[in-house]
Amino acid sequence: MTRRPSPPDDFEQLALEHLSSLLAVATRLTRNGAEAEDLVQDTLVKAFRAREQFTPGTNMRAWMLRILTNTFINRYRRGGLERAVLDGPDADPLADGWVSSSSMAALRDPETTALRPVLEREIGEALRELPEEFRLAVVLADVEELSYKEIADVMGCPVGTVMSRLHRGRRMLKSRLYEHALEMGIVGPEKVVGHEPASTNTVDLAQYRARRVKVG
Amino acid sequence: MSPCRRMLPLLDAFGDGELSADQSLQVEQHLVDCGHCTERIRLNEAVRVSMKRAAPVPSAAFKARLCAALAAERQREEHPSERIGRPLSWRTIAPIAVAASVALAFAAARPKPDTMGAVAGAARASLMGHSPSSSSMQSNAASVTATVEQLIDELVTHHQQGSHPNVTEAALLEQLEPEVGVPVRLPSLYGARWEGASVLPVKAMRNQRAASLRYSVGGHRVTLYVYNSANVPLRATLEPRVVYNTPVYVGERRGYSIAAVERRGVGYAVATDLNDSESAELVVASLH
Repeated sequence: MTRRPSPPDDFEQLALEHLSSLLAVATRLTRNGAEAEDLVQDTLVKAFRAREQFTPGTNMRAWMLRILTNTFINRYRRGGLERAVLDGPDADPLADGWVSSSSMAALRDPETTALRPVLEREIGEALRELPEEFRLAVVLADVEELSYKEIADVMGCPVGTVMSRLHRGRRMLKSRLYEHALEMGIVGPEKVVGHEPASTNTVDLAQYRARRVKVG
Repeated sequence: MSPCRRMLPLLDAFGDGELSADQSLQVEQHLVDCGHCTERIRLNEAVRVSMKRAAPVPSAAFKARLCAALAAERQREEHPSERIGRPLSWRTIAPIAVAASVALAFAAARPKPDTMGAVAGAARASLMGHSPSSSSMQSNAASVTATVEQLIDELVTHHQQGSHPNVTEAALLEQLEPEVGVPVRLPSLYGARWEGASVLPVKAMRNQRAASLRYSVGGHRVTLYVYNSANVPLRATLEPRVVYNTPVYVGERRGYSIAAVERRGVGYAVATDLNDSESAELVVASLH
């Protein structure tokens, strides 16, 4: 028996080249490795079935990530993403003063190198705790390095929404990182918030969760 | 508005390479003067690097599972009249003779002769060197099916009799390899205790030999057969199923259940007095 060529040819091989990307995103979306692998498998099979719809020459990785995202939303989160929250008004985008230069330097490059893995682990955990739509935006931008336009396609939202989710997601991450560093004494407590006073206490996983509980 | 205030909303997009040339220039000029915003950019970058570093690496087992899933999907697409779990190895491993015999068996056993008839015809034509006539195909198909039925019956009978195994040391198992013609290892079947092994000449397959490994699990006897799947096309008359993403061929004969899987040209089949799902799970376990 000979293999019948199915356009685009050698789809399996092309698709599997993006396996690491798919798994990286799936791992961040799901709760454990097994679920992530199932999600990737579902995605690949769906992509295979829909392969005629893929336009050769366009970004295959982004196309497959879109399938992965939709599969995740449909199968693992039947209610869709947390629309109530993401359609709500964004926090003041300028309220981003944050901490002093020296604290930021300590966060990104702690004087004790032994602390770096601790902070990295903290980033991983903070990422897992982000609301899905923020987490997805951050992972697509920072891990997968997709453009805003591609992220918008994957997530099915306008570019402006992508920017807002990215901004808020990253802010929550850094805030969590800062809090942790503070607990560990890597940075000192400070009231300094940017160059000029912005609204204090910018970030607010706790607030977000409280709001989420009310919404839900 | 201070320069920082104006720049803040741009910093993320700057780090993401999403600003226009004009805007980028503005940010860069600001960064020259502003250590604080420079530090913000650096922190963003450091967080990004940390996140990337934690990326998981797909395991070889996972890749193999995906390849199998995609191969099954392609198979399904090319033979839409069939259920899932068609032999995955046709295209890549099995010699055309197996394809022909299995196809013939399917043609007889299944009510959809259109596509399978064509496949069987093509395979048979290439074997025999002439165009197939439907009557000879039918009779050939019937005889293959009968042979496979007889084969299953032999395996069940052997299991039922529980004859005394002649190899009881795992280290000696590999001595069976020349006789059986495929590697014989000792798979662990969940909590089952291995009791011994023997070699079974399968009459229905012109005395092709299969290794027979006997286990005991919770008072039930389990026989695991290991054989060259090219010569023993058990799957031809068994019902295909998918268990833990693995195609399994399952059937019941005389109160015993039998379940078969194939991997890389080696067939594994268990015969038990457990139910068919339990047998299917056991045989999948033999692959790991």
